Amino acid sequence: MLQVITGAGRRRDVGPLAAMHRDRKRVFVDRLGWRVPVVDGEFEVDQFDNDDAIYLISANADSGHAGSLRLLPTTRPHLLSEVFPHLCERGVPRGADVWEITRLCTAPDHPDPRSVRRELVLGMVEFAVLNGIRRYTCLTHVPYLSSVLAVGWDCEPLGMPQEDGGVVLGAVLIDITPETLAMMRSRRGVSESVLQWEALHAA
Amino acid sequence: MTAFSDIEQFVKTANTLTQMRDLATLLGGAVESLGFDYVALMHHVQLTTPEAAGWAVQVIDYPEPWRALIRARNYLADDPVLAACQRSPVAFLWSELPGRYQMSTRQAEILEAAFACGLAEGFTVPVNVPGEFLGSCSFGLAPGRALPRQALPAAQYVGCFAFEAARRIQTLEHARQAAPHDDGQRRLTQRQFDCLVLAAQGKSDWLIAQLLGISSDTVHHHIEAAKRRYGVASRTQLVVRALFDSQITFADIIR
Repeated sequence: MLQVITGAGRRRDVGPLAAMHRDRKRVFVDRLGWRVPVVDGEFEVDQFDNDDAIYLISANADSGHAGSLRLLPTTRPHLLSEVFPHLCERGVPRGADVWEITRLCTAPDHPDPRSVRRELVLGMVEFAVLNGIRRYTCLTHVPYLSSVLAVGWDCEPLGMPQEDGGVVLGAVLIDITPETLAMMRSRRGVSESVLQWEALHAA
Repeated sequence: MTAFSDIEQFVKTANTLTQMRDLATLLGGAVESLGFDYVALMHHVQLTTPEAAGWAVQVIDYPEPWRALIRARNYLADDPVLAACQRSPVAFLWSELPGRYQMSTRQAEILEAAFACGLAEGFTVPVNVPGEFLGSCSFGLAPGRALPRQALPAAQYVGCFAFEAARRIQTLEHARQAAPHDDGQRRLTQRQFDCLVLAAQGKSDWLIAQLLGISSDTVHHHIEAAKRRYGVASRTQLVVRALFDSQITFADIIR
């Protein structure tokens, strides 16, 4: 199950959010060498970890944070609009039904990262269908583009890939329909929701 | 083909194709306008192995002498280009390999033999999907031809999107080939499919029952019914037959 946690008014130094920010530092800064801000030497937190952000987090009491991703509304400032608009040849896609996926990661020492990633992908598709989101935008390192495409959803490039600090980056647009969710559920043999709306009763 | 509108058009067209030969034609045109001469889109697996039949992608337009040599000398297993794809998912030029990796005598021999057959340089885009066999899309250049360096970003997109289109078409083609033998009885029900996928992952009836929220007896019943549909006696045979028919895929069971 994935917890749905809104960023609004949340403390980031406790609970699943803290575990997520700690693992994000271990993955993106320590392992992948991204030059992104680190808070208190152990949490990766940037300007988009704000009240607008919604997180899908795979976590449980025994093993802690297993994986997570961040969703941002494109009607507000987000990574593509503020930092990488040049990756979108025809302008950054924005609208109430367009959200951005960023910071997808799995815990560095998780024994089965692939199944965590699969649940996160299924979760974000379910989240889209439930919330009237029809398209996701997503920044990807081009070497990982194949695994984004292999999910089997409709995906198109937003502009030419470009080199940035020694890596090649590209932006893509992903179409989500109820059929996308049905196809993914049938492939995974899942018929029930993977989302747990923690934010509602924690408020 | 370095304009974004060309890439957009390529992706749109590739996504509508349902025949591998149409994809090969589309890809051939793209390769030419990128400024390359040859292309090979493939899973890194010998097509002669029975388990590769049905899902492995192989669209190869290399000089005929080179294709013959690969088969005759069994170069595929030691190909330094394919080995480099295992080490890093980042696209690379073949001429960069000797400086980057310690190459065996046989690997150096393979690069030289390719050159002699008319493949002087190449650009390879690894296709790395977790849980699946490695694949790649390579663009080759004839001797004396200038490397189209400004086209390399576009080539990476052509490689990735073409490979995904090929995976999709391969699944379709395999389903079409299987169809004439399909007597309508083999198609598994959703619950048989659910049980079979979990059984193929090595899970016990008890665990499958817990995961699906049904009883162990019901799990047993679904698997027995699936075996009857294929006329096989063991679970192993059932998994192999269902994979062969594309009723289940490797992606369903390898995790």
